[in-house]
Parts: sequence; C-alpha cells; structure tokens
Amino acid sequence: MATIATAIPNRRAEIPRVARVVDDLAAAQGLPGDVVADMQVALDEVLTNIISYGYADEGVHVIQVRVTADERSLTAEIEDDGRPFNLLDAPEPDLRGGVRDRAVGGLGIRFVRTLMDHVEYSRAADRNHLVLTRRTAR
Amino acid sequence: MDLPEERIGDAVVLDARGRIDSTTAKEFGDRMIGLIESGCRHLVVDFKNLVYISSAGFRALLLAARKADETESALVLCGITGKIRQLFEIGGFTDLFRIYPSREDGLSALR
Repeated sequence: MATIATAIPNRRAEIPRVARVVDDLAAAQGLPGDVVADMQVALDEVLTNIISYGYADEGVHVIQVRVTADERSLTAEIEDDGRPFNLLDAPEPDLRGGVRDRAVGGLGIRFVRTLMDHVEYSRAADRNHLVLTRRTAR
Repeated sequence: MDLPEERIGDAVVLDARGRIDSTTAKEFGDRMIGLIESGCRHLVVDFKNLVYISSAGFRALLLAARKADETESALVLCGITGKIRQLFEIGGFTDLFRIYPSREDGLSALR
C-alpha cells in the first residue's frame, strides 16, 4: 500500500498537480490504466466543483488530497473548507431531451458516481470530506 | 490545446488533440462556435487523438451543437472509442450526436 498526500490552492490551473500525483502513485503501484483513468476523471470533476462552487469569497483556500493505492483499490480523500456540499445529495441530471433542452449541469457528478465504486461524504469542523474509491477488480 | 483544422470541400475537420478539461474547454468550444459562426456548415470533430475529456468538454460540445442547430449547420463527431466513448454513454451523449467511426465516414455522411 502506498499513499501520497498533496494540497492545492483553489485554482483550476492547479488541478493537473493532483493528476500527476495520481499518475506517479499509479505507476509506482502498477495500477491498471482504466482504474487510473476513472479516478482522474472523478478527481478532476470533484476538484473543479469545489473550486467553482465551494467558496463564497475570492480568497485562497487550500484543498487537501490524499491518494492511496493497494492491490484492491485506488482511493482519493478530498478535504476542503468550502461551504457544505454533499455530492451524493445532488440530483441526477436529466439525460432526456435533445440538444436544445439538455441540461449539462450534474454531468460531472454523474461521472463521479458511475466511475467510482464507492463515494462517501462527511462533514466535520467546517470541512467537507469526500472519499472516492475505485476497485481494481469489478 | 492543439486543434488543427483541415478543410475538405466545404467541410472542416477539427482534430481535437490532447485534453479537454476545465482549462481547455473554452478554447475548444470557442473554436467550434467560431467556425460555425463564420459560415462552416459542415463540421466534423475528430476525437481519435483525444486522451481525456471532462464534463466541461461536454458542455462546450453541447453549446456548439446548439449553435449548429440555430444556423442549420451540421456538427458530427468521429473517432470516439475506449474511455471517451464510455463517458459519452454515461452522459447520454451518444443519442444526442451523429457519431461516426472515422472522419471519412463523417465526411461521407455530410455529402
């Protein structure tokens, strides 16, 4: 089992830094490509959501990310001090409708829920805590 | 983002190379919309060289599709395989677009 912890400020341009951490861990642990790819998408969506909607101010906030890999799974824990947001409470996007009616809101959350095997949310001490798990065997 | 264009007859093939994420989606979207607004009536977006797309990319694609609709232009996609195909399916986008295996197939369909 191996873990890498990192932290980024709430700026979209910093998200690739987390992606590199995932790639480094994946390479060191020999994780299957599809497991890593799914986690990369899920992490990107979660971090983008936090950065886009999590804060009421324009200030700098720190988002902590801890990535853990073992033979059975790849897990990412994301912690932020933004407003309370439980991804699991977000409604499913309506995927009916043509180009004109289709809403894109909620698509990122749908990706997270579908690509990950387990998503867990908790909130304590004014911090959101999200755990994403993608198993290696399905 | 690397977005080379190729004009073939009255169609444009846009090669979406690399990654479409929250930092590059605007450029991708602006390019497609720019092409349509400047008169391109047949746009083929080729995803065969794309390694990654996030929801921001799908949003850009949807906005471009709306622009195409408004101008009665055709926007078709091709080269969608693997993980990217899976995301199109999860997002319900395979029903929304005309998708072809290759750019040649897309261009033939537009003739």
